[in-house]
Amino acid sequence: MFPAPIEKSTSSVQTAYKVALPVALLLWLLPLIAIFLTSIRPAVDINTGNVFGIPSEFNLIENYSAVFQQTDAWRYMVNTLIITLPTMIISVGLACLTGYALAIYKFKSALPIFFVFVAGNFVPFQILMLPVIDLSNRLDIYNTVPGLVMFHAAFQTGFCTLFMRNFMKALPFELIESARIEGVGEFRIFWHLVLPLVRPAIAALAVLIFTFIWNDFFWATVMIQDDASLPITVGVRSLNGEFVQQWQLISAASLLAAVPPVIMFFLMQKHFIAGLTLGATKG
Amino acid sequence: MTASGQPISQYDTSMPRVVSGAVLLVVALLVMLSIDVSWVAETFGFQKRVDARVPTFFIRMVFLIAVLAGAFISFTSLSYYKRNRVMLAPWLFLSIGLAFFLIYVIIPIFQSISYSFTKWNGLYDVTGTWTGEWVGFYNYRLLLEDPNFYTSLANNLLWLILFMLAIPIGLGIALFLNQTVTGIRIYKSMFFFPFVISQVVVGLIFSWAYNPEFGLLSEIWGWFFCEQKLNIVGNLTTSCSIDPPSILGEAKYATYGIIAAGLWPQIAYCMILYLTGLNNVSPDQVEAGRLDGAKGWKMLRHVILPQLRPATFIAIVVTVIGALRSFDMIATMTQGGPFGSTNVLAYYMFDQAVGEGVGRYGYGSSIATVLFFIMLIYISYFLWRMYQDEKTEH
Repeated sequence: MFPAPIEKSTSSVQTAYKVALPVALLLWLLPLIAIFLTSIRPAVDINTGNVFGIPSEFNLIENYSAVFQQTDAWRYMVNTLIITLPTMIISVGLACLTGYALAIYKFKSALPIFFVFVAGNFVPFQILMLPVIDLSNRLDIYNTVPGLVMFHAAFQTGFCTLFMRNFMKALPFELIESARIEGVGEFRIFWHLVLPLVRPAIAALAVLIFTFIWNDFFWATVMIQDDASLPITVGVRSLNGEFVQQWQLISAASLLAAVPPVIMFFLMQKHFIAGLTLGATKG
Repeated sequence: MTASGQPISQYDTSMPRVVSGAVLLVVALLVMLSIDVSWVAETFGFQKRVDARVPTFFIRMVFLIAVLAGAFISFTSLSYYKRNRVMLAPWLFLSIGLAFFLIYVIIPIFQSISYSFTKWNGLYDVTGTWTGEWVGFYNYRLLLEDPNFYTSLANNLLWLILFMLAIPIGLGIALFLNQTVTGIRIYKSMFFFPFVISQVVVGLIFSWAYNPEFGLLSEIWGWFFCEQKLNIVGNLTTSCSIDPPSILGEAKYATYGIIAAGLWPQIAYCMILYLTGLNNVSPDQVEAGRLDGAKGWKMLRHVILPQLRPATFIAIVVTVIGALRSFDMIATMTQGGPFGSTNVLAYYMFDQAVGEGVGRYGYGSSIATVLFFIMLIYISYFLWRMYQDEKTEH
């Protein structure tokens, strides 16, 4: 293990390390802590510049319920879910199929096609923006939730395929060979043999796509103008304009927008991290 | 019996299935193509044509699924398919995902490049004909004379260079946290926090933190440069020897301010990559290194870093892409201002193409094309590395 385990050093070093840990964390999360403190303050504290001091009143409930009462935060949250969940299902589902084709079958164009998915996954969004708007317009779904979901699902299929293919490549191929010799159909092999084995990959992709789409701002801005269908990221941004200088409310709304991905991360930490390493480093 | 152990009879084309699949395909396709929004609006009594768009989409999707089902049924019933199953099956598995990805991602890249040779505001006339005109390299010539383009390009470069700091800092934090004291797992997750929350939220947090009147930075600034006094009337006033800077309000600081905000989650990402990598460092080699007398910096350079190469590679890739994709933070914090000083290609393109009242599709596309070719350098490098790995595996 590197660096050398701290247990092997003198007790004074150990104590220093145990003190340094919370201090470092405090500094690292300082912006987040400060914004949380702001979100429970009354307006008067903010105007008098009371940033770290004890709030003159604890307005936790007042401020957070004000966000829900005075704005459409709740509807924005629901919209985000309506965008996020179908995207997650479609892209992970499709990637199981494409990943299976690219990992299990040996055919010449498997690698080039795989590279198409990988390359597409990294292109800048701006090069897709105008044609995608145009396409959605021609399909009569521009400025609707399904229009946004269609794009997200297609785009995320690239990332999911990259991950799924690498995961399936590591499966024991003999298992599939022997099933084939037994005369099991190709789709049955996929459904009954391979799918149960890739469950961890499905879980990893599900949490990652959930977080990516929940946090998406660019595509929601581009594809949705209608206030009734806006997701939370765009909603929170526009609150910034509505609550001019009412930082206690802006910060409460921002923190609310961050809650679902944070919960998702804590529940599925292992899968989440496995996904972020693009399946390249295992463990 | 054949080699795969199935009775010969199963290899015959089952004509009824082929025909019924084909009928389903044709009928569903005809229905799908003939349904349009106006028809749905009239039939189901929608007041406005716009309201009928989503229902129309769902009806079309149902028929699209029927088309696909028909195609699959008849194709898989052909004896040609049955004879060449192992060769054809992957294409069936690929078909939907690949088609979807080509339509929404790959083809648009080429469309955008072609738009960049046109002058167009994104509209069609009533008959559905395109209203743009071809102008050759006109947009690119404009680009070369546009000071905003150069500002954006310079800022992109600045982002790229400064974003690379995320890699060593991330490594540093990972080394700091790679211990086994009690509660370290919680610490690791908490350090990872900034990456999980949306960039818009990070942008808002930092906009507040940078606020010169009541933000986090002005507060800390105050500890060093300001003092509070009671004035004659008895009110508390603050006087500072140097006034706190307005980071996002001044052209010379704004980009640095946004990059610092962007680094926060990026460092967290690099940290987690390195923590995973450190987990996989072989203990034997570390021990061997210790026996050879390697310690600290030497050990890190000669034993640990070479083993962390896969993590470093991914860290570079995601950091470069993160730097070039920077959009959300700029949109939240400055919208390109003050005076266009924080524009990057990604934001400037958006602003020109769909920003308020501009609608320059052709010009915007030329900016996007430049950005795409910059990104293509990194994408090619990534693919080349992947290709090398694939070759050695077989």
